[in-house]
Amino acid sequence: MPFRLLKFALSKDHPEPRMFRQPDRLKSSYDAVIIGGGGHGLAAAYYLARDHDMKNIAVLEKGYIGGGNTGRNTTIIRSNYLTPEGVKFYDESVRLWQDLSQDFDLNLFYSNRGHFTLAHTDASLRTMRWRAEVNKHFGIDSELVDPAEVQKACPMMDMTCGGHAPILGALYHAPGSIARHDAVAWGYGRGADLRGVEIHQQTEVLGIQIESDRVTGIETSHGTISTPRVLCAVAGSTPRILDLVGLRSPIYIHPLQAMVSEPMKPWLDPIIVSGSLHVYVSQTARGELVMGASLDPYELHSTRSTLDFAEGLAAHMLELFPFLSHVKVVRQWAGMADMTPDFAPIMGKTSIEGFYLDSGWGTWGFKATPVCGKTMAYTVAHDRNHDLIEDFSLSRFENYELVGEKGAASVGH
Amino acid sequence: MMRRISPNHDRLQSLSGTWRDINGMPSLMSIPGDEQTAAHLGIADLSFLTRFGVKGAGAAAWLESRDLEVPDRPNTWRSLPDGGIIARLGLTEFLIEDSLHSSFALRLAEACQHVPDRVYPVLRQDAAIVLCGTAIPDLLQQTCSVHFQSFSLNDHPVILTLIVGVSVTIIPIAPDRYRIWCDGTFGAYLWETLATIVQELGGGVVGADRLI
Amino acid sequence: MKLMTCPVNGARSISEFVCAGEVRPIPDPNTTNDLAWGAFVFHCNGAAGIKQEWWCHTPSDTWFIAERNTQTDEILRTYLWGEVA
Repeated sequence: MPFRLLKFALSKDHPEPRMFRQPDRLKSSYDAVIIGGGGHGLAAAYYLARDHDMKNIAVLEKGYIGGGNTGRNTTIIRSNYLTPEGVKFYDESVRLWQDLSQDFDLNLFYSNRGHFTLAHTDASLRTMRWRAEVNKHFGIDSELVDPAEVQKACPMMDMTCGGHAPILGALYHAPGSIARHDAVAWGYGRGADLRGVEIHQQTEVLGIQIESDRVTGIETSHGTISTPRVLCAVAGSTPRILDLVGLRSPIYIHPLQAMVSEPMKPWLDPIIVSGSLHVYVSQTARGELVMGASLDPYELHSTRSTLDFAEGLAAHMLELFPFLSHVKVVRQWAGMADMTPDFAPIMGKTSIEGFYLDSGWGTWGFKATPVCGKTMAYTVAHDRNHDLIEDFSLSRFENYELVGEKGAASVGH
Repeated sequence: MMRRISPNHDRLQSLSGTWRDINGMPSLMSIPGDEQTAAHLGIADLSFLTRFGVKGAGAAAWLESRDLEVPDRPNTWRSLPDGGIIARLGLTEFLIEDSLHSSFALRLAEACQHVPDRVYPVLRQDAAIVLCGTAIPDLLQQTCSVHFQSFSLNDHPVILTLIVGVSVTIIPIAPDRYRIWCDGTFGAYLWETLATIVQELGGGVVGADRLI
Repeated sequence: MKLMTCPVNGARSISEFVCAGEVRPIPDPNTTNDLAWGAFVFHCNGAAGIKQEWWCHTPSDTWFIAERNTQTDEILRTYLWGEVA
């Protein structure tokens, strides 16, 4: 590795090829167009090209690759959900994650840490028992542990949380992991690019052409293209794209903020989540603490940061870890979360032929990147919903068949 | 008389001072040396006073029919004949609190057995606090986002806001005397948080005697 | 500190308020069908724009309407229901 680095130092030009090409112009037609160059969209392109032999694909990204929620999440990967639909789906995702670095030949810094969801009340302990049983039924490593176990795994934690929220136990999920989120987008982007997919950044979708309930093309800021299939994977911009095709949805947008501390020596191995205190935290390989909390309290289509959030999160962090009182926050940011009423995604075919949705990923989308790519690729290629996403269709709201995943959202919303 | 317990009782009972039953509630009346404390920054429990609440579009007219002069503007207050308070909370809700020498609350509660349409009694089980002393602004600046100095006390303002996250009604009676009411279930939390900061600021708990 | 002006209580920190979503007409439960009712219960106007929303000043339980740009978070005006807008 040091010799390779030397090559970079001595060369005038960048000695390695870019992760993916920048095609000059759009072609006049594609077999499929994917709106949104985040993890989900690129993963779908990758699996379409790799597993379904569809190469004539364009990914359209209004900004830059991975600049949306893919680069704005807190990188936690887990599958200890509450509903059978959710558990099966996320478990497949965790399995895919584990081989992804090999798949891409790119280090994703996938790091298996173990994941504790703390219970501070009898009610949350009860929900965790329920989650553990659902998880175990589907063969997922998930169990309820007592406070002594928690303290052993995390000796620095104040088990009474300043006296007012003593920890009564936790749901422990051994496969809980973190990964480097930018590399996930790059890995999928490079893999798709190598297989012939075109990635067009700085290309905004302005309109979607529909003739007798069937997609025929897309108007972009760089011209019009014809295509029979469009996959919409745009997270916080979903309602805007749905307006273009005249579909209604229950998706509402709230900002989700997060922040990072200065780097420090490794002291926190597991991922710690407390729903009651509205905190989730993990320590990166670089030593920074990545911290998140609940959604901003009202609708907003903006990625601004607030002092209220930083103050509130810091206060709760100090209840768990009082010794951090002198640690500095170095960065703060926000993403736009596309929330659904039942905290489950909206995926699959829609009432418009050739228009597919991968949306409603709210605050839980990063961990699902591989399985979303895989199932959406299948759905687009076969024009048939993949079995794993059958329950997540947009029509479930009109049919009153909600999924009910709120109990497993990491923090209260 | 019905036995009443202050929402702040648990936080107060260990303090040694003079206790007296008022309106059926054990009340801390004085603490040795609290005269000096009160001049700088003091906090006292006034939950023992009797109160009555009423709301609805017909509430103002009903109170006037009971010979009470109601404040004519939203979020203002006026004195009752014997030293109590009648506060207009928003447009159509009223809080009446007696002094030690009046009994409006009792009379209104009895009259409330039969009220006209659009008059609704409101159960008041408040934790009632009074702050006193010159350092009140130092305490409120740490705990509340309202800029109290922007109000003119001549306007008799009533302020409904949050203090340390708890919904409260505040009346600045004088620059060195603020009344605070909150729902009794939040009383212990509000009291403990405020009393802790009062102590950090060099003040302390005082008896109610000199403040009523 | 972001401020919002309650029509009754005046300008206060946004933390004193909660938002209850966009103002929209309710279909008549006696005459509507399941499909329309489901659409009313779940679907919303999710795209960014200037919206009329129900807000509540929690310390005083004052419900009012705020006209707000959900892209920029600019609060254009607030008024009580039934007031001439």
